[in-house]
Amino acid sequence: MEPLTWTGTLGAYLNPLLALFAAVFAVAAVAQFILGFVLQPGRTTANADGTLSVERGPLEWIGEAMKWSFLGIVLVVLAYLLGGIVTPYGTGGIIGAMSARFLPVWIALIATFALSITFKRRLGLYGKLFDSPIGMVGFGLVMFWVFTAIFGGPLDMIITHDPLSQVSGLKNKIPGVPVPGIEEMGVGAHYLLGGDNLARDIFSRMVEGAWIVIQIAPLATLFAFMVGITLGLPAGYYGGALDTFLSFLANLILAFPVILLFYLLVTPEIVATGIPSYMAAVLFLFPVIFLGVLLNSRYYTQPTFRTGLLIVVLGIAGFTYLAIISQRGTPLQILPNAIDPITINGGILVVFVSVVFVNAPTVFRIVRSLALDIQTRDYVAAAQTRGEGAWYIMLWEILPNARGPLIVDFCLRIGYTTILLGTLGFFGLGLPPESPDWGSTINEGRKLLSIYPHPALPPAVALLTLVLGLNLLADGLREESLKD
Amino acid sequence: MTDPDYDGPILEIDNLSISFFTRLREIPAVMDFSVRVRPGEAMGLVGESGCGKSTVALGVMQDLGVNGRVVGGSIKFKGRDLGQMSDAELRDIRGSEIAMIYQEPMASLNPAMKIGKQLMEVPIIHKGISEKEAYDRALEVVTDVKLPDPKRILDAYPHQLSGGQQQRIVIAMALMSKPSLLILDEPTTALDVTVEAAVVELVKELGVKYGTSMLFISHNLGLVLETCDRLCVMYSGEAVETGSIEDVFDKMRHPYTQALFRSIPLPGADKNSKPLIAIPGNFPLPHERPPGCNFGPRCDYFEEGRCDAQTIPMATVEGDERHRTRCLRFEEIDWSMIPLGSDTKEKSEPGDVILKIDDLKKYYQVAASALFSGGNKKVVKANETLSFEARESETLAIVGESGCGKSTFAKVLMGLETATEGSVILDNREIGQTEIANRDTKTVSDIQMVFQNPFDTLNPSMTVGRQIIRALEIFAVGNSETERRDRMLQLLDLVKLPREFAGRMPRQLSGGQKQRVGIARAFAGDARIVVADEPVSALDVSVQAAVTDLLMEIQREHKTTLLFISHDLSIVRYLSDRVMVMYLGHVVELGTTDQVFAPPYHPYTEALLSAVPIADTRVKKKHIVLEGDIPSAMNPPPGCPFQTRCRWKSKVPGNLCETEVPPMKTTADGLQIKCHLTDSQMEEMEPVITIAAE
Repeated sequence: MEPLTWTGTLGAYLNPLLALFAAVFAVAAVAQFILGFVLQPGRTTANADGTLSVERGPLEWIGEAMKWSFLGIVLVVLAYLLGGIVTPYGTGGIIGAMSARFLPVWIALIATFALSITFKRRLGLYGKLFDSPIGMVGFGLVMFWVFTAIFGGPLDMIITHDPLSQVSGLKNKIPGVPVPGIEEMGVGAHYLLGGDNLARDIFSRMVEGAWIVIQIAPLATLFAFMVGITLGLPAGYYGGALDTFLSFLANLILAFPVILLFYLLVTPEIVATGIPSYMAAVLFLFPVIFLGVLLNSRYYTQPTFRTGLLIVVLGIAGFTYLAIISQRGTPLQILPNAIDPITINGGILVVFVSVVFVNAPTVFRIVRSLALDIQTRDYVAAAQTRGEGAWYIMLWEILPNARGPLIVDFCLRIGYTTILLGTLGFFGLGLPPESPDWGSTINEGRKLLSIYPHPALPPAVALLTLVLGLNLLADGLREESLKD
Repeated sequence: MTDPDYDGPILEIDNLSISFFTRLREIPAVMDFSVRVRPGEAMGLVGESGCGKSTVALGVMQDLGVNGRVVGGSIKFKGRDLGQMSDAELRDIRGSEIAMIYQEPMASLNPAMKIGKQLMEVPIIHKGISEKEAYDRALEVVTDVKLPDPKRILDAYPHQLSGGQQQRIVIAMALMSKPSLLILDEPTTALDVTVEAAVVELVKELGVKYGTSMLFISHNLGLVLETCDRLCVMYSGEAVETGSIEDVFDKMRHPYTQALFRSIPLPGADKNSKPLIAIPGNFPLPHERPPGCNFGPRCDYFEEGRCDAQTIPMATVEGDERHRTRCLRFEEIDWSMIPLGSDTKEKSEPGDVILKIDDLKKYYQVAASALFSGGNKKVVKANETLSFEARESETLAIVGESGCGKSTFAKVLMGLETATEGSVILDNREIGQTEIANRDTKTVSDIQMVFQNPFDTLNPSMTVGRQIIRALEIFAVGNSETERRDRMLQLLDLVKLPREFAGRMPRQLSGGQKQRVGIARAFAGDARIVVADEPVSALDVSVQAAVTDLLMEIQREHKTTLLFISHDLSIVRYLSDRVMVMYLGHVVELGTTDQVFAPPYHPYTEALLSAVPIADTRVKKKHIVLEGDIPSAMNPPPGCPFQTRCRWKSKVPGNLCETEVPPMKTTADGLQIKCHLTDSQMEEMEPVITIAAE
């Protein structure tokens, strides 16, 4: 059977178009840059109906050319993707075939955007995100990978081959290589992005890797935030010796070489002493404390309601906590196996611990400085003068008003965590060696990078687009939260 | 460059319209605005926030940002249209021909550059003179703005100067290149009253000396009366009345101007017999302006089918010099001043003493150095021997400038700090040493506070109703959520807010509305003592009257004791029964309002009274300008705290003022004054404010 080319038969029509638009765009961009020094922009005049009109000069015409050629490029790219979906397998080449595999993701993305834009005025900050083009691009990129993770991971709708199975003869084969033994053109007839060093399908591994990253990164970041907030608020609010002590501790951790820390955490001798387990026990306690204090400070004026609520919430949270930290084979085996529903791979636990440990001090500093600022406001003084407790003021008066910068930082930090996961995977730490997560696959691909660059590139591009999307999303959120 | 022999108007603005363009719509900020400033003339631009006065100033500077655009009319400076100039020409004019002084002095100076360098930059850039000449010029100007030790000042960084000194430097910088036009955008709003008086005095003098024309932007009518020759009243983007000070103040021909004057406390207004009249309704949003007259919906003289049927042009008032008004009916309305509010309210009699402060002292220990805190510690005496009583349903005003210790006193009273010495007695119970956490709910709910900044007083991420309900929960009012909800709605009724506001977020409310919610929250637990810390100083004048009235009304109903902290003597005179004047932690004068506002005065009270601008042409004030700034509380002068700025010091024999804190003297009718002056010297004092016979 024929190997697939990148753009297939559709490429015969679309490739020249793309080249044309790209050339026009490049020429116009250069021309605008150079002529911008020489020419004056056209005058802007205001019309009676409240619109502005601009006089057309040469610069404006070049701008128009850039605009239309860019639009042309976007249209051609869309044509590649759409062509792959509507035409039979193979016509659209590798790009078309991948686009067809991602069909559920496209549908979910379009549905999300359509719904969000329709109701954006009622959705608060999330809705305002759709006023910012940057934010929309970022949100689109992030959601692409989130949907890919969901549809590709548990729903098993995207991958073409089992990410762990090897097919003999496809070791390090280039993208579009046909799988031997399959005669009919259809899904699974080719390794779309080629085979890796162990002859596994790179495309499927990349999709499967997304699920691992999307599972771990936001959750680990959330834990880091819980720890940072629970310690940062009192440090900023009380100040004094407590602040000095906690800040010193945070600086100490920040100054410690993290790579060394990671190596230490996964060394079998250290694991045997139970240090990672004990660290997990301490770090995971913070969310439970956070929840308890949050609810108690709010509802202590209604004792009956408060007690019931706390019993339910702390009961669930406490049991989850015990189930997470109590693991077989570690020194901390508190719960009997029969009632321990959560079993976490020891490697993932280490990943969690190290991510929280490394990120919490930075979050702590941000929260502390926000608390220092916000506690000077009159509404905090008003709460103090009506005799509110310190934790109520911290959690209900200060924290909600610090949410803007915290949400932005949360998005950025998921990005850092994703890279950190990649780094950990790259060092072979944390996750099992056959894991398809992006860091590990980049690491494996790196070894033959000069001969076969294709195994390392897809996960690298995936990581890049996700982190870029998170950064753009954070930018958009920051921009929109400042308006109003 | 401009023609040196030009003798027409310095600034001519003709039918200027400025709009800001947003993604959603065009927002007109200034419409059909015309003004002329002649050489040496000072023009005042008065209006409430959002009326477009600052936009006019930015328009003159051609600095409207990316969204702003002049959409009609022209701005001519010395006969040349600023809108037609190139960027290079504009750069030439800005800072040299037209200079601008902003509100916040610290933000106008570069904190990383020495004062001298910043001043010298101006002529070096614009005139291209040598560094030596520039230095001499800087020295001369700094001397002109009356700063002590000019050489040292030139070598200082901005943070080493006080707010008043910084503003003088900003003025000096504006004068460095001898501009023809000076734009002052609320130049004294961030300063204390006595400092403000000195700066205003300086601006006036320099205007005469340099022959500079001025465009003075302010919301304070009194200040404009003192500084300007002509004024222009703006409302919602339009000039509504313009003319000479005398014409506009005494023969106003626009309903808005009239309403404005009725809502500010002038001498003669009284909370019981002649209350202020607030302007009904709210300021229209720029994109929701009514058809026809912008002031129409709030105007007493509104005529349907006429005032809202057409755009209203400016009309000239016959007989006056360049007096114009934007009112269709100005010739029909009877402008003879209607006496202030006619509905007399019953005067509430003060009841029993409920709060007694005895010899209260509050000292703070400040470590000289954070790192080696073992060594010498400094003591800041924030409150020094405070003694007074407050009775039920009485309004006691606490007056003083920043740093006088009034906020510290409020903190001790509220229990956020404990007293160093002395006692605070509420209903025969000592609470001065009890922190708020240890006070019982009743005590906490009895003493509540209304805060100064309306934009800060409510938690921005909680609905209005939720915040009031929270106060009710804390004060243990009501047994169930529904009961508390009902009580919350009643509280909203009490402060005259619609019940729908319960579900609103604070950002959807205007400043005055937020302040009302703050008042409702303070009265949630039926407070008996309310500390109002400058509750209206951040609000616009027309809203001030409404909020003040509301406070008075609630006080009358609930027999609340109101401790009204303020620096604005006009409003203090209007609403308080007794006044306490504080300076650097000391009470310097305490007595009934009439006693404090009439001689004998404490020298500080005298200066304070003279400093407060009053928007009434009939008022004649004695001119007392205090030298220097308020000393730091970290390092107070020995002896009498006021001795460094007192103009009566020479009358006291020996160096008594410098060595001994004067005792509190009580006159026969109960006025207490802390001063070394003898009784006979006190008797000689003349009243500061006199109202000319009409």
